[in-house]
Amino acid sequence: MMTISILKKALLASAMVLSTTAAFAEDITITVWAGGSNESDSYRMDAIEMAADILSKEQAILGNELNITIEKKRDFGGWSEFKQAVTLAAEAGTAPNIVVSSHLDIAPWSEAGYIVPVEDYLDLDAWPINNIYGNLLKIASFDGVQWGIPQDAESRPFFFWKETMSKIGYSDADIEALPAKVQAGEYTLANVLEDAKKAVDMGLVEKGYGFYPRASNGPDFAQFYLSFGGELQDPATGKLVLDKTAMQAMYQFFVDAVDAGITRKNHIGTDGSQWYADVANGKVAMWHGGTWHYGRYTGKEGNNDFFDTIQFSLIPAGNDAGKANTITHPLVYLITDQETDRAEEIAAQLINIASEPRINTLHAIKSSHLGITRQQANIELYSGNRWAAEATERLLPYASSQPNHLQYGAFSEALWKGLEASWTGVQTPADAIKEVEAELIAILGDELIIR
Amino acid sequence: MKNFNWLALGFLAPALIVITVFFLAPVILTGIFSFTSMSTSTGVTGGEYLLNQSGLRALADKGLNQTTLDQLNNAGYVVDEQGLAVLAEKHGAATADEMRKLHENGQFSARRDMERALKDLKANKIRSTKDRKAAAELFKHSLLNERFETEAKFRTALVEGDIPTEDHEIIVTQAYTGWVWTTDNIKLLFSLPSTLRYAGNTLIYVTLTLIFNIGFGLFLAITTFYLPAKSASTFRAIWFLPRILPPVMYVLLWKWLTWDTGFIATTLSWVGVAPKNWMLDTSTHAWVVVVLINGSFGASLGMILFSSAIKAIPSSILYSSEVDGANRWQQVRYIILPHLRWPILFITSYQTLSLLTSFEHILLSTEGGPGRATEVWSLAAYHIALDNYGGNLQYGLGATFAVALVIIGIIASLFYLRFFNFNEMVAKPKIEG
Repeated sequence: MMTISILKKALLASAMVLSTTAAFAEDITITVWAGGSNESDSYRMDAIEMAADILSKEQAILGNELNITIEKKRDFGGWSEFKQAVTLAAEAGTAPNIVVSSHLDIAPWSEAGYIVPVEDYLDLDAWPINNIYGNLLKIASFDGVQWGIPQDAESRPFFFWKETMSKIGYSDADIEALPAKVQAGEYTLANVLEDAKKAVDMGLVEKGYGFYPRASNGPDFAQFYLSFGGELQDPATGKLVLDKTAMQAMYQFFVDAVDAGITRKNHIGTDGSQWYADVANGKVAMWHGGTWHYGRYTGKEGNNDFFDTIQFSLIPAGNDAGKANTITHPLVYLITDQETDRAEEIAAQLINIASEPRINTLHAIKSSHLGITRQQANIELYSGNRWAAEATERLLPYASSQPNHLQYGAFSEALWKGLEASWTGVQTPADAIKEVEAELIAILGDELIIR
Repeated sequence: MKNFNWLALGFLAPALIVITVFFLAPVILTGIFSFTSMSTSTGVTGGEYLLNQSGLRALADKGLNQTTLDQLNNAGYVVDEQGLAVLAEKHGAATADEMRKLHENGQFSARRDMERALKDLKANKIRSTKDRKAAAELFKHSLLNERFETEAKFRTALVEGDIPTEDHEIIVTQAYTGWVWTTDNIKLLFSLPSTLRYAGNTLIYVTLTLIFNIGFGLFLAITTFYLPAKSASTFRAIWFLPRILPPVMYVLLWKWLTWDTGFIATTLSWVGVAPKNWMLDTSTHAWVVVVLINGSFGASLGMILFSSAIKAIPSSILYSSEVDGANRWQQVRYIILPHLRWPILFITSYQTLSLLTSFEHILLSTEGGPGRATEVWSLAAYHIALDNYGGNLQYGLGATFAVALVIIGIIASLFYLRFFNFNEMVAKPKIEG
């Protein structure tokens, strides 16, 4: 009898243990959507999976069974399809828990209530956020609220094809000194026009291939506006700024490039694959791009000798009013508004863990982006990578960013429209500026300062 | 209702549903949206109440007095007795006492600073981030950056924050995050310099493409009519290809033809012509290509309709004209064209309306370039409402552009009906009178 009762008790006890464990078991599915990503950016989502594993283990130690299933999606066509998908899903109440998108989306999405601030859940003074570069964290904030965590960093350098440069008269030492001269403002966009023209005139590159800009709208063109002394946002009031002199000088630079025969008049809309193939193998004398291009040039485009063939620097200054600069346009991890607070909390924990220097380094190196935390310099995978190390040092300290402002999209579109019209010869820069000004006054009203 | 035919309704039902869901509903919704300030940031389904730094800036521009602005801006976090009492309730009296000793009446402008102050607790640490964040909220006085679901809740918060009653209205209006009814889109439409350009582009596009469409469709129909039946159908089949190809493929072929590394450029380079992009070199190039792409696509429809209409002309008329010594040109001028009046009216009005609203071939080929030279009205509406690098899509303004197009379409239809004397054509045949 005794044994039976002990057995009974043991059974009962284990049943109770099992049932309590079952009561604590929590199953949750976290969806991650990443915009503008391809295979090399897989760690944007895989990092969340790794974080889920760590979080589950942490919880297991505390005696909680937390089963996290991660659903990943990155095939959206282009950026506009991705943004439409996110906003429509958010309106329908089926938004993915974590979104990897441009920091520019923070302003409209926070206003619409699609996203919740990460600072509601995370201690900004704790690891690893306290190790993230301050300027990057600021880019992921809006109106003083920390809405997201930077997912990666990048910047947009100016590139020179070394062989062409040496053929127009630059010694190896001159080429090595170029980045410093650009930074000091001694080598300007006027020199770019001059040297690219030499390259075309000497027949080193074809007509229209002396200077090869980006072929579609993007943050890159704001850099040239800054080069001519423009300012995007007034620091005191937070309003957007249209500096007409700087903008017109910027438009004029592209018109001059077309007139000099170093840039094609119909360059805009050039097919992406053709563009990469042209710049990666010496068909072009000078161009500008992004730090992540390194992966493309050395990978798909087959340039096995990047450092011996290509020199990179900041975007040169345009005139005395401006200075050499670059723009960083980090993607950010954002948490969407969900029915339950718990889903938001877990999503926040996951992006926090995914920002661990070691995990972020996987993404940085695989996709040729730059790191987000200072400690990555102490991780061999990062510090041992020449591109990451040199690009971080040469570019990131001078990087500014586009402002998070509700109307920045309209501002950027108008800027681009004017540039497009001048570049293609449909309007003169002066006429284009007049139209841009009228358009911006109508759309932005009080939120615009005109200089 | 005796004569009501349920069977007929049954047969019509699918068509009615399709018309309602895919035509009427979008048109009505677009009409409604055009009178709203709807954008990504306002959302579609309604708003809440949120005051942030941008909102304060806008309030300053709207003339809210500085005292109230400062009051809103500086409320921040205060370690007061009220907050300490709740802290004592949640974390024990000892915690509240230690906090009182450390930071009594302390003021903090940011949440981060408040959390740091809570971290100063040594003997009674609040260890979990979640609890610390909740504790910080106990001392919150500011209503900045907090979303209030309803106007009532927001107004209560304003009252609790001692904001002067006379300022409530302007603050509530500014803080609402959702869309509002407005006629600003229409004003904006008339004040934007680009509107005129889009209108001009659309006029060029519709006129030129229409002329090409009808002219070429007629040409094909008449010439194939005089061909032997077999070769006629072969020619018609070839000219029908643009319509049956998927648009993306069709436009891609045009791109291969016109790119600076494409067929035309390569062929001409053999005779010494410098390669250039024959689609985007100048706005004239772009227009020619856009008209050809859309024209060849549209001409096939005209060709089919005109061909069958010509076939319907009693052959006896044509034979007798030959007996009378009429040549081909006279047959076309005096017999065929007069008989084609109806189909020409149909194709002209149908194509005008569809050209006004169709932009897919332009989007795929020139994307409105170079320099917006081929940006037509409907493409502009699409760009405004659904495509913006910066992320804030202007649904309301885009809808206004679309509605303007609907109005232009209706005016154009009325004009056509009058011009072609529609009433006379649908008059009852006198013989059956």
